[in-house]
Amino acid sequence: MTKYVVKRVLLALVTVVVISLITFFAMNAIPGGPFNKEKATSPTVQAQLEARYNLDKPLTTQYVLYMKNLVKGDFGVSLKNGREISDIIGESFPISGKLGILASLIAIFTGIVLGSTAALMRNKWPDRLIIFFITIITSMPSFVIATLFLYFFCMKLGWFPAFSAGENMTVLPVIALSMSPMAYITRLTKTSMLDALGQDYIRTAKAKGVSGLKVIFVHGLRNALIPVITYVGPMVAGILTGSMVVESIFNIGGLGSKFVMAITNRDYTLIMATTIFLAVIMVLANLITDIVYKMVDPRIKLD
Amino acid sequence: MKKKLVSLVLVAAMALGLVACGNKSAATDPEASADTASEAPAEETTKEDKTTLNIWMSSEPAHLDPALNSSVDGGCLAVNSFEGLMRYNAEGNLEPACAESYEVSEDGLTYTFTLRDGLKWSNGEALDASDFVYSWKRAAAPETAADYSYLCEVFPSFDYETGLGDDVVASEDGKTLTVTLGAVCPYFLDLCAFPFFFPVYEETVEATKTADAPQGTWANDAGDAFICNGAYTLSSWNHDSDMTYVKNDNYWDADSVTVTTLNVMLTSEDTTAYTAYQTGDLDFIDSVPTAEMQTAMQSSEFNIADNLGTYYAGFNYNSKLYEELGLDEEQAKVFRHAITLLIDRQYICDTIGQTGQLPATTFVPAGCADGNGGEFKNTDYYSVDDYDANVEEAKSLLESVGLWSGDALTQDISMTYLTNNSEGNVKIAEAIQADLSNVGINLTIDQQEWNVFLETRKNGDFDFAREGWIMDYNDPINMLEMWTTNSGNNDCQFGRDESKALDWAYYDNLIDEIRHEADLAARADLMHEAEDYLMDTWCVIPIYYYNDPYMVKGYVEGVYSTVEGMKYFYKATIK
Repeated sequence: MTKYVVKRVLLALVTVVVISLITFFAMNAIPGGPFNKEKATSPTVQAQLEARYNLDKPLTTQYVLYMKNLVKGDFGVSLKNGREISDIIGESFPISGKLGILASLIAIFTGIVLGSTAALMRNKWPDRLIIFFITIITSMPSFVIATLFLYFFCMKLGWFPAFSAGENMTVLPVIALSMSPMAYITRLTKTSMLDALGQDYIRTAKAKGVSGLKVIFVHGLRNALIPVITYVGPMVAGILTGSMVVESIFNIGGLGSKFVMAITNRDYTLIMATTIFLAVIMVLANLITDIVYKMVDPRIKLD
Repeated sequence: MKKKLVSLVLVAAMALGLVACGNKSAATDPEASADTASEAPAEETTKEDKTTLNIWMSSEPAHLDPALNSSVDGGCLAVNSFEGLMRYNAEGNLEPACAESYEVSEDGLTYTFTLRDGLKWSNGEALDASDFVYSWKRAAAPETAADYSYLCEVFPSFDYETGLGDDVVASEDGKTLTVTLGAVCPYFLDLCAFPFFFPVYEETVEATKTADAPQGTWANDAGDAFICNGAYTLSSWNHDSDMTYVKNDNYWDADSVTVTTLNVMLTSEDTTAYTAYQTGDLDFIDSVPTAEMQTAMQSSEFNIADNLGTYYAGFNYNSKLYEELGLDEEQAKVFRHAITLLIDRQYICDTIGQTGQLPATTFVPAGCADGNGGEFKNTDYYSVDDYDANVEEAKSLLESVGLWSGDALTQDISMTYLTNNSEGNVKIAEAIQADLSNVGINLTIDQQEWNVFLETRKNGDFDFAREGWIMDYNDPINMLEMWTTNSGNNDCQFGRDESKALDWAYYDNLIDEIRHEADLAARADLMHEAEDYLMDTWCVIPIYYYNDPYMVKGYVEGVYSTVEGMKYFYKATIK
């Protein structure tokens, strides 16, 4: 197990370096630059800024300089506003992370409950009702859900303020974030639960007189969860790092909007930092997923 | 695209809400049906909390440091938290601010400002003329690398490599500031009210300088380092979410500030801000989503402020297009003149602008001062009264260069219009496309992502492109000097192709003469000559003059806007 984890971490490092390389050269390949504005900066000032941030050096030199600083833990400063990138990520990741964890928990719990219910009551009205709503949610993009929430809960019903200085909205964005993964987990759980319940070992367990609940939870659900775990790992990683759409509609200063704005602004240092950060979280999530696999299903060999 | 979809969803949601309301109201309360999406939001006439104003202007500004800010919304925050020697009052006139009075020497080159007694920074320390000297030199310094450092060109000692010399001097007692200019500058007092020239607090600026940030990081967050001298000081800043400003008790004019807290929402989503305005969570919004404009305009809370700026389109003077059409430089001008006449500006103003913009007939916007006590605009380069007549004139112009014969073009004309991919700009591009197709000219719209667009336009890789300029200060030179050969804003690429016969050194010289002309009447004449010379290329095609719509609740009084788009909140009162 330890040997496996060490191997995976080393592999992960290689993955992150490769991602950083691709991102660095791809972002420099797209036209535009961090100091472009509707009212152009004078060429002299532009040159001064480029020199300050080493943008006047060859790309390979820039990359080496960047990686050297990164190893020292220095992400540099944002080219747009001069703030330390570690500050930017440090303050926005906890905000997105908190919403993400809550949303993930809701999505996983509700998804598994609804999915199991639908499977156990197959073709009865609860199943049909659940599938009806799940289909609607799946077909609605998150900005539609978020906008509808804003309209009904803030404007029509007045349950939440649409803006309150110093307070981030929590309830609405968490629910909005959890909708789509919840729907997906419901469908996955239902399918794999149905599959598991049809297996021979379930029939054997029943024949041996194991109680109904035990059959469902210990024998059925445990086996049905393997595909769900595969999905949940990367899903949590994605949801933790924030959603541009949900964050901008609910006016939350999270990490999700930083990804997208960094690209629009050609804020090279911020693009690199957010991408590497996401890569690390993704790789970690995959590693944890694999370890959890092993715990749920001893048949899986980790080599 | 996303914005458009969000608007659509909102409209659909409102329709749904309508149905729901309609059903309920029919059964219970017939009055409730007044709650419809087609009517203006209900107007409130009073608010419980008389000391807090919740406002929205835009997303987070890149800089709160007044020297580094280059956005209008950032400027609004600057004028409410910092104060220069001068400021604008509600009538739009300049009045002494940190300065108590000023004198201008007879030759117009030396300004002597006497500062108010007892000026203080927000931390209680004394502020005097030496702070202005420090701040101006720091703003001009190469390590600050400010976008607006070109404004320092009014000082004879200014150089981009070395910064500002001793043209700005404080008296021993710190009471007076003496400024020497290189040439008469009728807008110098406007500059004294412009954020770039606001004072900053030396101690924290110097203390927060780092190798990565030689400009100082003092204004990157709320905290002890953020020291200012205006009506409000920053008390909290949740990045990309909100900011809170509180009244600065050390401000010299603090007695006239009754609103003690300013909460600023930071979002790029105008639909979210508009929702918050409708729910009463915001008292002021600086723009309205296009999809809601017609509804919003019916409200008495809807305001349109004058704004100095022109939305226009620009032709690349050096484009290969003309050679392909077989036109020489003079014929190309005639061709562009024809295009100018083919654009139906009134249609664009009415259906896309929607807020009563005026069709533009000059490059320098209507309402701009001439620096000599009058309005600059004294001509129309073309008429916009009769569009059909313009089309006929355009046809005869095209005929004169062999592109039109009888009732059709003599050859296929295809060109590309470059614009960024935001909704309003694309709609205007489509309107121009439709206008040109009426005579058979085929216009392809090239929509580019914002930053790519800026790069392409700056590099001159286009035939015809969207342009716009909001003036920084009220003097035509701000619009005219952007076209000098080496200016970063010379998107039309004038004077950059040596093989062309166009004498653009003449224009460069004109701008230079304007900068040095001491006689203001002669200066105004020179500026007219420069605009004539520019318009004669027919590369710059004015479309409309900007105006500035905003909404403010009925219970708020005293919020005002300058023609440069700066909003002043510190004189606001809540009923």
